[in-house]
Amino acid sequence: MNPIDDETLQAYVDGELDQPRAARIDAALAHDAALARRVQQARDLRAQLRAAFDPVLDEPAPARLSALLQPRSAQTEIPATPSVLPVDGRGISTTRRRATRRWFVPGAALAASVALLAVALWWWQPGDDLVRMQGGQSFAAGALTHALDETLASEPDAHAPVAIGLSFRSTDGRICRTFVLRSPPARAGLACHNDAGWSLPVLSAVTPPEGGGELRQAASDLPPEVQAAVDARLRGNVFDAQQERAARDAGWRPLPSLRGAGKR
Amino acid sequence: MNSSDAVREGLIPLLPRLRRLARALAGQVADADDLVQIVLERSLARAAQWRPDAALDKWVFAIARNAWRDELRARGRSQHLFAPQEAGEMAADGASAQPAQQLELTMALAALPPDHREVVALVLVEGMSYGEAAELLEVPVGTVTSRLARARATLQAHLGKDA
Repeated sequence: MNPIDDETLQAYVDGELDQPRAARIDAALAHDAALARRVQQARDLRAQLRAAFDPVLDEPAPARLSALLQPRSAQTEIPATPSVLPVDGRGISTTRRRATRRWFVPGAALAASVALLAVALWWWQPGDDLVRMQGGQSFAAGALTHALDETLASEPDAHAPVAIGLSFRSTDGRICRTFVLRSPPARAGLACHNDAGWSLPVLSAVTPPEGGGELRQAASDLPPEVQAAVDARLRGNVFDAQQERAARDAGWRPLPSLRGAGKR
Repeated sequence: MNSSDAVREGLIPLLPRLRRLARALAGQVADADDLVQIVLERSLARAAQWRPDAALDKWVFAIARNAWRDELRARGRSQHLFAPQEAGEMAADGASAQPAQQLELTMALAALPPDHREVVALVLVEGMSYGEAAELLEVPVGTVTSRLARARATLQAHLGKDA
């Protein structure tokens, strides 16, 4: 077999080879250790670049940048149900006014403010064991972890405390899922699976519909900061029922590089 | 909704990815956010040129790449946006300390020629296909491929020692 040149090898790793040529490399990998090593090195480089730059996605944006994206007439475009943090049952109108300003802050800045919110929620509800802090990051705990691990959106349970929305592969290969905590105070968030569990880049208070109706799930009415966090990570489509089940059965392990491994 | 509102609203969810791309291009956090500011201002100023059927992210990333090139030219340092000894400051500059190997990698990336750095940023960091990157850069796909292969070889040489 002819030696595989660097450009072909990189096209293989980046998912740019057509199926027959990719299949030939697949076959060669089984008995060519040197080739396997080169493929691994190219994959490692990709992974390390992502590891070096993807954290930027979760950094809060400087105010000078967010300010450029503020609408001139913000107050007229506010959706009807902004996220409101029920602090103590009073002062809703003032928190609502502040919350509406958050509406237009870009996702990364929100991730930071929402992380603070997560800390606050955790602090105010010591008995509510759904969020734990580790190394300055929020992670799912207790029933939330269980729901993220086990629940399939394709098999919804209207009485479960946690509703699962979308599941998808993040740009960094990790699997992320949106969820809604139904028990008051209702919260919605995004969870991404990693070695330490389900990290929560976004957790946001949700206002139940007026009139005290049941909080509907989930995917269709995500708070905008959660939607922005999804948009920042989503590449391709969200999982269908079959992919969701397969991902669960695989323990939510990160899928190999989108382009690199789709062929395997 | 007029086009300026549409672009502004579309930019909000794009901001994290735009900042990531700018970081890969410009290296230092402060330079990268200066670049993002220029990009946001230009995108809003040119909102009328954006056609809603075109993907906003690619349109904005093209503006980012061109703004970065303008910036390089204005500084008259086409090879390095900042001197190599300044690169060490990135560790203190960043929101969190990078592992040593990542720091080495970002420094190696910052030392690449601009032609190479931009294909790495677009394909390996942002995740564009070769064809999408070629379209954005207005070069043939083969040029993207060969630049990317050479950039990889350089970066790999920095990592290969301890791999």
